[in-house]
Amino acid sequence: MNKSLTEKLESTFKDIRIAISEDSRIALTAESDNVLAVLRFLKDAGFNHLALLSAVDWIEDDCFELCFILTSYMQNDDEVTGRQSLHIILKAKIPRKEPQFKTATGIFSNAEPYEREIHELFGIKFEGHKRLIPLLLEREYEIPPFRKDFDTRKYVQEVFDKIPSVENKDK
Amino acid sequence: MVVKIIQIILSPILALVVGVFFLGLARKIMARIHWRYGPPLIQPVIDMVKLFCQKSVSHGFMFDLGLILSLAGSIVVVLFLPLGGIAPLSGSGGLLVILYIMLFAPLGMALSGGQGANPNISIGISRKLILSLGYEVPLLLVLLAVMTRYKTISIVEVVSAQQSTAWSFISFPLFLSGLSYFLIFPAILGIRPFDTASAPQEISSGPMVEYGGKYLALATIEHAFILFISIALFVNLFLGGAANPVIFFVKMLAVFVLGLYINAVFPRFRIEQAVKYLWKWPTLLAFLGLIINLAMRS
Amino acid sequence: MDRNQITKWLKAPAKMANKYSLHAIYFCTGCGIIEVPPVITARWDAERFGVIPVATPRQANLFLITGYVSVKTLRAIIRTYEQMYEPKYTVGFGSCPINGGMYWDSYNTIKHLDKYIPIDGWIAGCMPRPEAIFIAVTHLWTLIDKEMANGYIRYRENYNSYRRNQELALGKLDWPPLFPVSDEPQGNEQ
Repeated sequence: MNKSLTEKLESTFKDIRIAISEDSRIALTAESDNVLAVLRFLKDAGFNHLALLSAVDWIEDDCFELCFILTSYMQNDDEVTGRQSLHIILKAKIPRKEPQFKTATGIFSNAEPYEREIHELFGIKFEGHKRLIPLLLEREYEIPPFRKDFDTRKYVQEVFDKIPSVENKDK
Repeated sequence: MVVKIIQIILSPILALVVGVFFLGLARKIMARIHWRYGPPLIQPVIDMVKLFCQKSVSHGFMFDLGLILSLAGSIVVVLFLPLGGIAPLSGSGGLLVILYIMLFAPLGMALSGGQGANPNISIGISRKLILSLGYEVPLLLVLLAVMTRYKTISIVEVVSAQQSTAWSFISFPLFLSGLSYFLIFPAILGIRPFDTASAPQEISSGPMVEYGGKYLALATIEHAFILFISIALFVNLFLGGAANPVIFFVKMLAVFVLGLYINAVFPRFRIEQAVKYLWKWPTLLAFLGLIINLAMRS
Repeated sequence: MDRNQITKWLKAPAKMANKYSLHAIYFCTGCGIIEVPPVITARWDAERFGVIPVATPRQANLFLITGYVSVKTLRAIIRTYEQMYEPKYTVGFGSCPINGGMYWDSYNTIKHLDKYIPIDGWIAGCMPRPEAIFIAVTHLWTLIDKEMANGYIRYRENYNSYRRNQELALGKLDWPPLFPVSDEPQGNEQ
């Protein structure tokens, strides 16, 4: 099963690197232009569940890396039971200066809140997303908080510690 | 005449004392069923003293008025019920008046809830009124059967007829009506499985969501009166009433504890399940009871 | 526990009733709420002391702020606190409302809760055991006896400062001030 999938992937897309670990996890690395095509290919091949979409900040390499984790829902078909324990993680690097990407909500509609979260916490814009408003946070930050150059201690000292205490006696 | 005035004043006070005692007893018995100790028996009194000492905010004139209206309705119903030997307004209408004024309680709360601007209140009130619609149908059939059998609408005569013959609950044609009343009894009291009108987890206590301070104290008093009225009606119509108040309260206690056991065990019905239940078997039994009573009368 | 001393009831019924009938609002503020269900159910019965959870702030007396307070939660906490009727008591539960706790350098939680609403007592721990809730309730009784549990009075007196702090933390507040606020220039503008 793995073999046939990897052969199909290598034959369809160029510039894709495949690594298979022992417990049926496949790690694919693709170029950022190909990612949506690879997602569509994998969804048609049966991996119809986008489990997670997340981002990593590689500040030394000056890039962000988006990670898509796909699995397939269990099916009653016998010939696809081998696929139940298969996870695919698809990684793609995008440059760190003015990062943007195309939205995956056309293929997996449940990518919408993940993309909102990544937009507010990393600052990556997703074109084509219908509703890119903040999901969790309430304030505006100059540097998005999950980036590695955001100094949390300095932010706390500037914002929260400067608010004066109301009563002078300490409890 | 003086005796009557004393009875008119004494009877709601007695009902209040017994109702508040039942509220405290309910919490204690539920706690013991849950294998824990419970609050002391006078905990509702402590709660009410605290609530009267809180500074509360009114939402408007209708907010206050509705609650007072429902409390007034409940006090008036108590005057029409014989409590053992005490029966203040016995000769004036009896069962028909009770059936009519018993509806003041949910209607008063609906009136006051109209001005508390909270959607939970509307949901709670709609559930409460639909539940009233559900249990009023079998209740009416039951009361008609009782009135047909004893050929009277005065509760005092029903009680004295039972004391000379036998309790209604075990006499043949009224047994079905008694069973039907017992099946709708939790719905009238508002305990599980029919406490969907004031569900704390779902709709934040329904109509009582904006009550605090003295309003909540009055609502608790109202709840105590409703408890008293429903149980007293059942005891009077089906368990023979009593000749003196002490035996009357013992019978009420037995019925109440039985209702508490039902409350402890059941989960909560949804409102459509509740109405479907209330209009099925209890209505059927009450209708059968009424038909058999009519047949036996002619 | 002096609940059965009748003379005290006759001398100061309001104080005694406020002590022995603390209705806690069941608002699960943070992660510390996991210690509350064992307290209110059969394991450690809190109803013996008169403490029961209620579903709405209008009927509540006691606000237990369990766990960390993020900025979004602070908005809900302030609105709930202002809807409660006086006299009302707040207890900070866990080490996060005290000084930030585990999230002392987080970008989204507030570190000292008593800059925003008045707190009558703290319980330290992460999480405190359920027995600590009972110790807190008995300490609160002592404070109510000595009339030191006056958080709501302090809120009324220092409402200007509290509201200014709330605006600094939350931005624009979309509810009107609870008590009349005097116009004075705000320090520490963001």
